[in-house]
Amino acid sequence: MSDVTLTIDGVQVTVPAGTNIVDAARQAGIAIPVFCYHPRLKPVGMCRMCLVQVGTPKVDPATRQPVLDANGQPVIAMMPKLQTACTTPVSPGMVVKTTTEEVRFAQRGILEFLLTSHPLDCPVCDKGGECPLQNLTMGWGPAVSRFDYNDKVHFEKPVKLGDLIYLDRERCILCGRCVRFQDEIADDPVLGFDNRGRNWMIISKSDPPFNSKFSGNTTDICPVGALTSSDFRFKARVWELQSKPVVCTLCPVGCNLTLDMRHDRLMRVMPRENAAVNDIWICDKGRYGHRFIEAPDRLTTPLVRRNGKLVPVSWDEALEVVADQLTLIRARHGGQALAGLAGPQLSNEDLYLFQKLLRELGSENIDTGIGGPAALPPDEIGGWLAPGPNTDLSKLGSGTVVLVIGADPEEEAPLYMLRLRGIAQRGGKLVVAGLRPTKLERSATQVVRYRPEGELAFVQGLLKAALEHSSRTATLERLAGWKELRAALERVSLNNLATACGLTVDGLNQLAKDFLTASQSLIVYGWEARSAGPALTEALAALMLLSGRTGTANNGIIALLPGGNSRGAIEMGVRPDAGPGYTPRKQRGLDANGIWDAAREGKVRAIWLAGVDPAAKLPVARAALEAAEFVIVQDLFLTASAEYADVVLPTASVAEREGTYTNAERRVQRSRQACAPVGESRPDWQIVAAVAQALAMVPIGGGRNGPIPVTTEAWSYMVAADVGNEIAAQVPGYAGITYAALAATGTGGSWGRQFDDAIYYDGTSYTNTEGVGLVLPALASKGTVNLTFTGKVTRFADERPMLLLEQVLAYDGDRHLRGSKLQSLIPRGYAAISADDAAKLNIHSGDRVRLISAAGEMVIPARVLADVPNGIILLPAGLADVMAAEIETGPRTRVNLAKVVTE
Amino acid sequence: MGLTEHIVMRELDIPDISDFAVYRRHGGWEAYRYALTEKTPADIVQMVKDSGLRGRGGAGFPTGVKWGFLPKGVYPRYLLCNCDESEPGTFNNHQIIDKNPHQLIEGVALSAYAIEANVAYIYMRGEFAAAARTLERAIAQAYEAGFLGKNILGTGFDLDIYVHRGAGAYICGEETALMESLEGKIGQPRLKPPFPAVAGLYGKPTIINNVETLANVPRIVEKGVAWYRSHGTEKSPGTKCFSLSGHVNRPGNYELPFGVPLRELIESPEYGGGMKGGRPVKIIIPGGASAPWLTADHLDIPLDYESLAAAGSMLGSGGVIVLNDTVSAPYVAYKMDEFFKHESCGKCTPCREGTHWLVRTLHRMVEEGHATAADIDTLHSIYRQMAGNCFCLLGESAVMPIKSALQLFPHEFEALVKRSSSRNGHQIPLIVRH
Ligand SMILES: Cc1cc2nc3c(=O)[nH]c(=O)nc-3n(C[C@H](O)[C@H](O)[C@H](O)COP(=O)(O)O)c2cc1C
Ligand code: SF4
Ligand code: SF4
Ligand code: SF4
Ligand code: FES
Repeated sequence: MSDVTLTIDGVQVTVPAGTNIVDAARQAGIAIPVFCYHPRLKPVGMCRMCLVQVGTPKVDPATRQPVLDANGQPVIAMMPKLQTACTTPVSPGMVVKTTTEEVRFAQRGILEFLLTSHPLDCPVCDKGGECPLQNLTMGWGPAVSRFDYNDKVHFEKPVKLGDLIYLDRERCILCGRCVRFQDEIADDPVLGFDNRGRNWMIISKSDPPFNSKFSGNTTDICPVGALTSSDFRFKARVWELQSKPVVCTLCPVGCNLTLDMRHDRLMRVMPRENAAVNDIWICDKGRYGHRFIEAPDRLTTPLVRRNGKLVPVSWDEALEVVADQLTLIRARHGGQALAGLAGPQLSNEDLYLFQKLLRELGSENIDTGIGGPAALPPDEIGGWLAPGPNTDLSKLGSGTVVLVIGADPEEEAPLYMLRLRGIAQRGGKLVVAGLRPTKLERSATQVVRYRPEGELAFVQGLLKAALEHSSRTATLERLAGWKELRAALERVSLNNLATACGLTVDGLNQLAKDFLTASQSLIVYGWEARSAGPALTEALAALMLLSGRTGTANNGIIALLPGGNSRGAIEMGVRPDAGPGYTPRKQRGLDANGIWDAAREGKVRAIWLAGVDPAAKLPVARAALEAAEFVIVQDLFLTASAEYADVVLPTASVAEREGTYTNAERRVQRSRQACAPVGESRPDWQIVAAVAQALAMVPIGGGRNGPIPVTTEAWSYMVAADVGNEIAAQVPGYAGITYAALAATGTGGSWGRQFDDAIYYDGTSYTNTEGVGLVLPALASKGTVNLTFTGKVTRFADERPMLLLEQVLAYDGDRHLRGSKLQSLIPRGYAAISADDAAKLNIHSGDRVRLISAAGEMVIPARVLADVPNGIILLPAGLADVMAAEIETGPRTRVNLAKVVTE
Repeated sequence: MGLTEHIVMRELDIPDISDFAVYRRHGGWEAYRYALTEKTPADIVQMVKDSGLRGRGGAGFPTGVKWGFLPKGVYPRYLLCNCDESEPGTFNNHQIIDKNPHQLIEGVALSAYAIEANVAYIYMRGEFAAAARTLERAIAQAYEAGFLGKNILGTGFDLDIYVHRGAGAYICGEETALMESLEGKIGQPRLKPPFPAVAGLYGKPTIINNVETLANVPRIVEKGVAWYRSHGTEKSPGTKCFSLSGHVNRPGNYELPFGVPLRELIESPEYGGGMKGGRPVKIIIPGGASAPWLTADHLDIPLDYESLAAAGSMLGSGGVIVLNDTVSAPYVAYKMDEFFKHESCGKCTPCREGTHWLVRTLHRMVEEGHATAADIDTLHSIYRQMAGNCFCLLGESAVMPIKSALQLFPHEFEALVKRSSSRNGHQIPLIVRH
C-alpha cells in the first residue's frame, strides 16, 4: 500500500494509506485520547473522545490543482465540524490539530459527560490504577465536577454476565469494545446491547450466559472497571502487583502469560503480548485455570510408604530410598526393569534430564502420557515438517492457504482458533475439513465435511491431485514406503476418491493447486485426524513436501497434541524409540502400554511417574502399579497413582520455577519463576538431578549389570539454564536456543507493547519484556526428513454400527483446573449422539445409554447434539468420570448403542 | 395564494381518492404505466432532477441528485420509503397514507423503476397500525391490477413492495438506524461513510426517501417538469404539506406552495385561522422539534428552505408548532428535551449523557423550583459540549430547544433563579431522586 504524508500538530508523519488519524498521531508521538477505539477492533466512532480538527488541501474545481497561498503553500480547508480521529483515514496533505481550544473544549466536554454517569468508586474498583478513564481524565478532563450528585443514575450491581465475568452497569461507559471483541475476534457473538439512551446496557445473549472460551479478554480491553473477573474482583489493587512472565502449559499454543503476584500469592493471570503466539489475548483456560498453583492440597513434602502408609520424610530420606531401590532393582534385573513416564506439561529441562537418567541407567522404557487403548505413537510429522523460523501467523492473510483437518482448535488449542480466524479475516484461504462441525468452520472460506469412509479418500485425493501439479518429489523418493504409497495412489482413480469424500474431481484439483501455488501453506491437524491412523497424516506430510516450501517461515504442519509441551517431550526423547532430536535408538524400549504389560509379567519392576496419573484412567495401569516392586510418583498432588507409590516427590508448579517449552509450531519459549515453591516442592529437573546425585552415592557395585554410570560431577546442575545450555549443546536442532536468546523481545511488536508502552489504549499492561521465544530451525530444511509411510489405518476389533470418537474438551478433568472458577463449566460425562440416531432409539438428552464394544461396555448419560453426524458417538474421554478405556479397542472404536430402560 | 390543485393531498380535490378505482379514474397509475412502457429509468431520474424535487424528510436534499449517487452497475438495489414520522409536530405522512395511499404506492413503484430496484420497503412507525393496513390493502390491489409483481405490464420489470412496522423509536427514522432496524438489529445509526446510496440495506446500494417526497413523483412524471416548477419558488419548487399545531384555531395539515409567508399559514382563515383567543405569538418552531425557534418577529418569512435557513432556523419536516405568550420558554425547552432524552439511542456520549444532564437540570429548575445562577452557565456549556459533537443529528437536534430558549428568552431563566433564591435561599435541594 502506498504511503501518505500528513501534518499533525505541526509534525509531519508518513503512514500507510488507510491508517486512521489516531494511529498516525501515535506514530508522530502524539496522543489522541480514545475510549471506544481499540487497534484490534473496527472503529465505530461512538464515544466521541477522539474529536480533532481536520483540514485538507483546497482544490480548485476547475483545474483540479491545489490552491496555493501567497507563500506558495497549499491553502487548507478546515472542516466545519470536529471529526472523530479514529474513524477518519489519513489523506495526502491533511492537516490535523489536536490541541486547539476548540478540540480541548470538546474533549473535556466528552469526559465531563462520561463522568456524570460514572459512580466514581475508584477506591474499590479493580481497574483503578490502570484505568483509561482515570488516565484520560487526568490528561484531558475537567478539574471539577458540576454534576449534581443527586442526579446520578443508579443500577443494581453487579450483574453476573456469566460464571466468569461480572458487569458493573454504573461503571460501563458503553464503548462497545466487549461486544465487538466477541463479534469480531472471538466469533462468539454472545454479548449485545439492550434498551436505549441512559438505559442502554450490555447483556449476555447466550445460554449458558457469556458462553465463550475467550470471555476474560473483555475485562482487559474494557476501558473502565465495568467488566470484572470473578476470580480477581476486589482481591488486590493493581499497584500492589508484581508481574511475572510465564508460559501457559495447558495446551500446545503456549500463550505468554503474566502472573500478577502480590508477594507470593497469585492474584490474577493476564496475557503478555506476543504477536506471533497469542497477540494480546489468552483463553479462559489460561486465565482462570492456574489456580492449581495455590490449591490447598498441593504436596509439600516428600512421602515414603512405611507400614503401608505414606509418611512425610525429608528429601534426603526420600532420595536415599529412591536411589537404593533403583540401584537394587537394576542390579538384580538390569536397566530394562526400570521404566518412566512423564507428562506433557513438564518443561524441556525436566523431560531432557528424565530420559537422560533413565537411559544412563540402561532403560529405554520411556514414554510421554499414560498409554491406554487410544494411545498413539509419538507424532513425528508435526516435528519434521513444522513451519520454520520467523513463522508468524499474525502476518498471514491473502496468499495463504491453511488446511485445518480433523481438528477442533477451540477445544484443543483455543488461541489457534483466533489466530487461524485472523488469517481468513485478512484474506487468506481457510479450508476446514473434518467429520463434524466445529466452531472454526464458521470462519472458514471452504468447509469440507466427509463421512468416516471418505476421510482418507479426501487426503489421498488431494495428494493424487497434487502429484499432477508438482514435480517436487525428490525428498519423497528418498522416504521409506513412498513408492508403495505412490503405487497405491496410481491404482485408484481421482474420480473414485472424489466421490468417496463428497467432492468433485475439479474441487480436489482446485484445492491441491491452491495449496501448492499459495505463497504460504499450512496444515493443522488434531486428534480426530491422528485417530484415523498414520495413513492420514502421512498423506498430509507428502502433500506438504510437494509444496517444496516445507520448513520455511509460515510453511509447514502444525500438529495439535495434548498438553502444553508434547512437542518438547518428543524432541527431548521422552519416547521409547528415539532419543533427543528424533535420533533413533539402537534398541527400542517399551511404550506406556508395553510397560503396563511388562510390569504385570514381572519384567518391569520399578516405575517412575512424573506428572502423569495413569491410575485415574486405566485399569491396566492400576494392575501394573500394583504388581511393580517400586513406584515413584512425582507430582503436584496426591494422585490416584500415588496410592500405589512407594515414594511420592512433591514438584514445583510452572509458577515456581524456570523452564523452557516447545509449542506446536516448534517455538521454544522461556517461562520465569513467579514465586517460591510451595512447601519443600522442587522443580522436576532438580528432582531428577537429585536422584542422580543420590544414585552416584550408593556405595554398592552394580553386580552383573555393571556399575551405575552416574557421577556427581556430570549431574551437578545449579540452575535451569545449566540444563538449558546442555539441551542447546546436545539436542539436535536446539543449537543456539540459549536462555539469553529466548529473552529477546525483537522488534516484531504490534504497536510497541513489547516495549512497555502499554496503557495507552486500555490501561491494562500486556508488556512483554521477557522474550517472545524462538522458532527452531526447521528439521526438514536440511533435506534430512526421516519419515516412513506405513499406510496404516486404525483397525477395529469388530464391526458394530456406531463409530466412537474421543472428543477433546478444553475444560475437562485435568487436575490443573482444580480450584478454578472453570469448575462450574466442566460438564459431567456424556456420550453425544445425533438427533437422528437418538430418535431411532427414542433417546433424549439425559437418558442413560449403554455403549457396548468388543472390549466391554459402559453406561453413561446421552446428549443429543445438533452437530454430531449420524453414526458417530462423541465421548469426552478427558472428563474425570468418563472411563473410556473400559470400552475402547483403539484410537477409535466401533460400538453398539442401546438405551438403558429402567423399570 | 391558494392552490388550484393539490399535488399530494388530492383528497381535498377528489373525494374517495383512496379507492383504487377512483384513483385510477383520475389518471392514477398512468404515470407509472407510461414510464414503464415509454421511458427508461434514466429518463425518470433526469425528470426528477430537473423538477428540483427536494426531500421532505427534513434535510431538503435534492432527490434526483441523491438518486444519481448510486454506483453504476451494482445490484440489487433497494428503495426504502421512510414513514417513521416521529418528529414532534409532524403528522402529514400519516394523512397522505390514510387519504391517498395509491399515490404513495405509485410513487414508490415509479421511483423503484427509476433507480432499478426490484424490492421496496415502506418502513412505518410502529404505532401506525391502521395506516399499515390501509397500505397493505392498497398494495394488494396494485398487485391484482398487475402494477406490482413479476414482469409488470409485460415490460420485464419486477417489483415487490413490503410494509414493515417498526417497534417504536424516533431514532429509527434516521436513515441508517432505519436500515439496522429493518435488518432486525437494534435501531441505531451507522457510521457514515459509506452512505446508503453506496452501501445501505444489507450492504447494498439503497435509496431512502420520505413518504411525501415519493408521493410527489407520479405528479412530476404525469404533468411534467415545467408544470411542477410552476409551483413554489426557484430553489424550493412544488408544494409542502405543513403540519400546523399549537395555539392556533385550526391545527391540521395544509398543502401550500413553497414561499407562502408564515403569517399566512397561521392567520389565513383557510389554514390556521389565527391564534386562539387572539393571544400573541411567542414561539414558532417551524420544522419539527429539531428546528431552532423563531418568534413573532419572523412572521413574514416565506416558508421555503432558503428563507428559513437565512433566518437561522430550518424548514425541516414542515411541522410548524406555534405557541402563545402563556407558555414558559424554559418549560417548553424542558419538555422538548425530555423527548430527545427519551429517544436518544445511547450510542454516543454527548447525546446520551448531555440530554440526561439537560433534563435533570431543567427539571430541577422548572418543576422543583430550585435554580441557581450556575445552572444557567451549566445549561450553556452542556449544549455547547453537545453541539457538533454527536454521532447523528438526533443529538444535534436536542441542542436546539435549550439553545433557542436561552438565547431568545434569557430573562425567563434569570427569573427562575430569582424566584428560587427568594424562596429557598441558596440551598441545594437535599432530596434524593430515582
Ligand atoms: C433522528 C432523526 C429522525 C428522522 N426521522 C425521519 C422520519 O421520521 N421520516 C423521514 O422521512 N425522515 C426522517 N429523518 C431523515 C432521514 O434520515 C432521511 O434523511 C430522510 O428519510 C431522507 O428522505 P428525503 O430525502 O426524502 O427527505 C430523520 C433523521 C434523523 C436524524
Ligand atoms: S462493559 Fe466495558 S467494554 Fe463493554 S461497553 Fe461497557 S465500558 Fe465498554
Ligand atoms: S490457548 Fe492454550 S496456551 Fe493459550 S491460554 Fe489457552 S490453554 Fe493456555
Ligand atoms: S446522537 Fe448519538 S446517542 Fe443520540 S441518537 Fe444519535 S447516535 Fe444515538
Ligand atoms: S469515537 Fe474515536 S475513540 Fe471513540
